[in-house]
Amino acid sequence: MKKIKQNLPALPILAYLIILVGIPLLLVVILSFLSRDNLGNIIFEFTLDNYKRMFDSVYLKVFLNSFLLAIFTGLITLFIGYPVAYFTAGLNQKTRSLVIMLIMLPFWISSLLRTYGWSILLGNDGLINNILMFLNIIDKPLNMMYKFGTVLTGTAYMLIPFMIISIYNSVDKLDRSLLEASYDLGGGKWKTFFNITLPLTMPGIARGFTLVFIPALGLYFISDLLGGGNNMFLGNLINNMATRGRNRPLASAFAIGMILLVLLVLFIYSRVTKNNKESLYQ
Amino acid sequence: MNEQLLCLKKINKFFDNSHILKDVTLDIRDGEFITLLGPSGCGKTTMLRCIAGLESIDSGDILLNGESIKDLAPNKRNVNTVFQNYALFPHLNVYDNIAYGPRIKKSVGEDEIKKRVTEMLELVRMQGYEKRMTDQMSGGQRQRIAIARALINKPDILLLDEPLGALDLKLRKYMQTELAQLQKQTKTTFIYVTHDQEEALNMSDRIVIINEGEVQQVGTPKDVYNNSGNLFVADFIGDRNIKNVEVLEQKDNFYKIKLGNNIINIKCDRSIVKCNKDNGMARAVLAIHMDKMKISYDEIPNSLYGEITFVHYAGSQIRTDVNVDGQSITVIEYQNDYDNYNIGDKVYVSWEETGALLLPEEDGGRGTIHEKN
Repeated sequence: MKKIKQNLPALPILAYLIILVGIPLLLVVILSFLSRDNLGNIIFEFTLDNYKRMFDSVYLKVFLNSFLLAIFTGLITLFIGYPVAYFTAGLNQKTRSLVIMLIMLPFWISSLLRTYGWSILLGNDGLINNILMFLNIIDKPLNMMYKFGTVLTGTAYMLIPFMIISIYNSVDKLDRSLLEASYDLGGGKWKTFFNITLPLTMPGIARGFTLVFIPALGLYFISDLLGGGNNMFLGNLINNMATRGRNRPLASAFAIGMILLVLLVLFIYSRVTKNNKESLYQ
Repeated sequence: MNEQLLCLKKINKFFDNSHILKDVTLDIRDGEFITLLGPSGCGKTTMLRCIAGLESIDSGDILLNGESIKDLAPNKRNVNTVFQNYALFPHLNVYDNIAYGPRIKKSVGEDEIKKRVTEMLELVRMQGYEKRMTDQMSGGQRQRIAIARALINKPDILLLDEPLGALDLKLRKYMQTELAQLQKQTKTTFIYVTHDQEEALNMSDRIVIINEGEVQQVGTPKDVYNNSGNLFVADFIGDRNIKNVEVLEQKDNFYKIKLGNNIINIKCDRSIVKCNKDNGMARAVLAIHMDKMKISYDEIPNSLYGEITFVHYAGSQIRTDVNVDGQSITVIEYQNDYDNYNIGDKVYVSWEETGALLLPEEDGGRGTIHEKN
């Protein structure tokens, strides 16, 4: 009785999780084991066919494609984001707040609009091509749209704030006296960076990578708008199956497959940060 | 032993617009344990950081073994620091922490490093802790690892920035003895920063007293304690009663002074207070160690007459406040007849000759400090 009373404040959270996460997820799981008729109506008949189809080479390629997109997005945002986060943490309080606000600013604009923005920039009649042609650097528009790289650019752009903020938090928490101790003991700037700063900000890197990797795996409007029909990613595939394909059971099975992929990444993350007090949700 | 190892020459340091170090000049001898002592914010830690190279200096020079090191980066100076919070690397175990210096300098091979780490662990009596992580150790243990890590590079000078601040009283006293022994054993010059006068008096060969970025006095613990050079030092070191007095007469080292309505004769070795011959009177400050005073019910020559206003019982010592013509004088006694003192008793307060100092009223000129034999 006492225990129930103690946990009473957690009740709304529990209700929220059950109604908005638990039940929908359960429905997806159930759905993934069912089949459908030609009109897309669900037939209540247990089957593993949906899961078996995941192993078709066509679909495996989509999994691989998405996995590569997510990995590359993680790496690009890391290499651009780390220096940004590192130098931001070294700024004085006032400038720092301003820079962080600027990093977060794009979130105030619809991500769909921002993705359209990239197609305006990169399109055959886009800003970049027009400038290059005007300067006579090229005489034919460069074909920059509807490629893997285009989707990668858009996804990395969309998710980089998560990486920067994660690493920033780690760098900011770094005890400056540890760096001084390293200088004092004979370490130069670079040696100190690789021996002290980098290992101690690893939790921030792992957290940022996870926060970028997971959405990169599932975002579908970016690949829709910037990837055209040439590149199929998991998000688009599931979206297509559920809407145009009218095959919700198959879409559900693929969604479960994607969740498993995400869980794998979270598992790796928990290993990396095992000995560290920082966690994903800090 | 008396060779000058480190010379600070007229060092000045500014942060924004505040003048942190003012013309600091100091010679440090090879092999000595020297303490920079002063209240918080006096610039002592900044001095240490300037020597380490973690802060630059705005003017002046720092010579180590006769060569200027003021423009060298911290990793190029042969001095090492024990930081206030120890600054042990949390991602490395004890062995790797201690081995960090020689490894990053690539000065010696792994075999030699292993030998030296073992040596260092023996020195600080922490054998067997090689594999421990730093968060699995107590404050005192971390302290020792920090010292071992700083000493492994065989620095000319070890800088210690309030290293005992975070420890509890008992451990602090124990570590004081250990640090002093360690210093004698390694024959390394220690520059120790603290605001704790007891630590300073206990461990040091010499003490440098600093206030508001200026060196106030340099001397042996006994010297600064008994023979404080100015009012600040007199007030800062030890517990003293500090009272304004009038000097009525002076003959060599003997002064006739007036405190309230009491007229007393005292002897003072240092003739830094000059009597104004014209009217035979000068203002001065009398500083007396509280623990060199005595309370008596019988009349004693050259004593102050007053009334007990408060008796504090503090374990081994009794502090008694006596009101002498409106001025409160505190007396600390160790052997007591505590029960005998009552508030309101009329008593005579006297003191040992060496316990009293007569200092100029203005704190402007630093008195010449005579070496006492």
